[in-house]
Amino acid sequence: MNPIHWSLRWLAIGAVLLCASLKVWSETTQVLAPGYGPLKFEPPAAGSYQLPPLGSAADGAVIDMNGKSFPLRDLTGDKLVVMGFIYTHCPDVNGCPLASYVMKQLQLRLLASTDLKDRVRLISLSFDPIQDTAAAMRDYSMHFRRQGFDWEFLTTKNENELQPILEGYGQYRKMFYNEDGDYAGTMSHILRVYLIDRDRRIRNIYSAGFLHVDTVINDLRTLQMEPNQ
Amino acid sequence: MRITLLLVLLFSMSAIADETCMSPYMAKIEGQEDFVYVWTLGLEGVGDEQDKLVTVDVNPDSDGYGKVVHSVSVGGRNEAHHTGLTDDRRFLWASGLDTNHIFIFDVHTDPAKPTLHKTITDFVAKSGGVVGPHTNYALPGRMMISGLSNNRDHGGRTAMVEYTNAGDFVKTYWMPTDDNLQGAVKSGQYADGFGYDVRVLPRRNAMVTSSFTGWNNYMMNLGTMMADPEAMKAFGNTVVIWDMHARKPTKVLDVPGAPIEIRCAWNEENDYCFTTTALTSKVWLIYLDEQGEWQASAVGDIGDATKIPLPVDISISNNDTRLWINTWNDGMTRLYDISDPFNAKQMWEQRIGEQVNMVSQSWDGKRVYYTSSLLANWDKTAPAGPDLQYLKVYNFDGEKLEQTMAIDFIAEKLGAPHQMRFGAHALYGEKVSAR
Repeated sequence: MNPIHWSLRWLAIGAVLLCASLKVWSETTQVLAPGYGPLKFEPPAAGSYQLPPLGSAADGAVIDMNGKSFPLRDLTGDKLVVMGFIYTHCPDVNGCPLASYVMKQLQLRLLASTDLKDRVRLISLSFDPIQDTAAAMRDYSMHFRRQGFDWEFLTTKNENELQPILEGYGQYRKMFYNEDGDYAGTMSHILRVYLIDRDRRIRNIYSAGFLHVDTVINDLRTLQMEPNQ
Repeated sequence: MRITLLLVLLFSMSAIADETCMSPYMAKIEGQEDFVYVWTLGLEGVGDEQDKLVTVDVNPDSDGYGKVVHSVSVGGRNEAHHTGLTDDRRFLWASGLDTNHIFIFDVHTDPAKPTLHKTITDFVAKSGGVVGPHTNYALPGRMMISGLSNNRDHGGRTAMVEYTNAGDFVKTYWMPTDDNLQGAVKSGQYADGFGYDVRVLPRRNAMVTSSFTGWNNYMMNLGTMMADPEAMKAFGNTVVIWDMHARKPTKVLDVPGAPIEIRCAWNEENDYCFTTTALTSKVWLIYLDEQGEWQASAVGDIGDATKIPLPVDISISNNDTRLWINTWNDGMTRLYDISDPFNAKQMWEQRIGEQVNMVSQSWDGKRVYYTSSLLANWDKTAPAGPDLQYLKVYNFDGEKLEQTMAIDFIAEKLGAPHQMRFGAHALYGEKVSAR
């Protein structure tokens, strides 16, 4: 792999760690998304609102951290799922690093929750099959995943296998290329994290302005209160 | 070394720019916009007489600068009114207040040549009777459409309707009324159930809606309506605060005189939005007080209310210190100092045309765009000429407007131009140099 790409990955991981510990630079660069700090409002209580279905969760062939290939569908249906599209070289602090940061916080909350910890699965699915191999996802996961917790770090074999998944979820991303036509290692995208119920329906979509562990937890509890969830 | 490089990289990726009135977490245009998409009403005797999305090249470095480079007609007249981009800016939703059709244009495949991707024709049936799709507002992966009316009496009681970005109906949220407050607190005299605009302050989990009038009025001749005392009573007097996450109304605020456009502050410490009232010509502040309660307060006057200047579109600057306010009837644009949000003061005014409705500005505020049309049955029809139905573009240096472009939409056989949205190749660029 190109050493520059390795550097970018470490920078991306560093962005998450930096955000978790240092916020001083935010005033001179950009405003951090609400997910990095305490909410400025009391979120509505779990079960006090509804989350209308937003369509079916799409399927597609994915690869786990061990290189095993299987349908994404195999990871839905048995648990509530929180799934974010990321790529490990993502340098936008309010993009993929935000998703990984909030999901790491979510993992801690779930571990402390006797009623939810075994009923929720987290998924980080890369949309960069060129750089994010199974091994790369395993390396990335080591910065976030607690041993034994049900947090899958997935990638795809190639662009052809990735595209139907992106289309199915309406996840837009555009790869950047150098003047010579080579992939530059970064891409333009909008952050999306999806909440999927046990009927494999999308029940909420979070972007940078709305993704926060407090609201995601309440949404999970809201779904859990539904009779068939 | 690693941290230094990280900061440089993050900073370069965050140097964003965009118009100031969009959903706060939408994908952003960087720097100069390339195109303005103008949702245009078809007019009898003008061109193909159909509503159309007109694309104008507005990049001074382009060979096509100042020209209409593309136009997509939609097959009829719908009372074309407002438009909105999805959160990923791939699609532009453009609605018709009369036919209730919503046209979804693909603006990402070729930003210079939008195409009609999908048409929603069952808005009324799916929503349970909502009429007059107005604001198309981006939420994460979804669009919130505010209605103006209903199919039972075509009055002002209405709802918001949520769709997925794919154009699939999700749910209808009716405005709170006296007979069904839905748990909201009625803080004053009114709970009329009317609707118009919708905006969101994500940091406060607040969704804010305003109230105008129903199909019976907005499709009536303006002179006829103003001479009808009963019709003039049928305007909204409320702003509603909603729990955004729960999609539930929490408080109904009295804002008498038809509050229409809403613009919320950008600074994360500024928990407030502005609106203006069409009938009473006032600037209103919708704000979170020190006790954490949402309140409404009149904070400024707009022209001479006795002459009915009719405030229409507004546009807030990215630093929350300036507010453009257009008054349709006298064709004036007015710049307000809102540094003190509780004391909005007009700084100066300039006539744009015989009538002026919409105003959009670039993120840096250096370019300001105007269009003329309000509603088909309200628009002026004389005097004919380049100041009647137009797109005009100005440079703004903080002191004065300098016109750089004007297109006469009648002479160009296009129609009556209404809402504008910006487009740029850089949003969908494939080269690093594009960012």
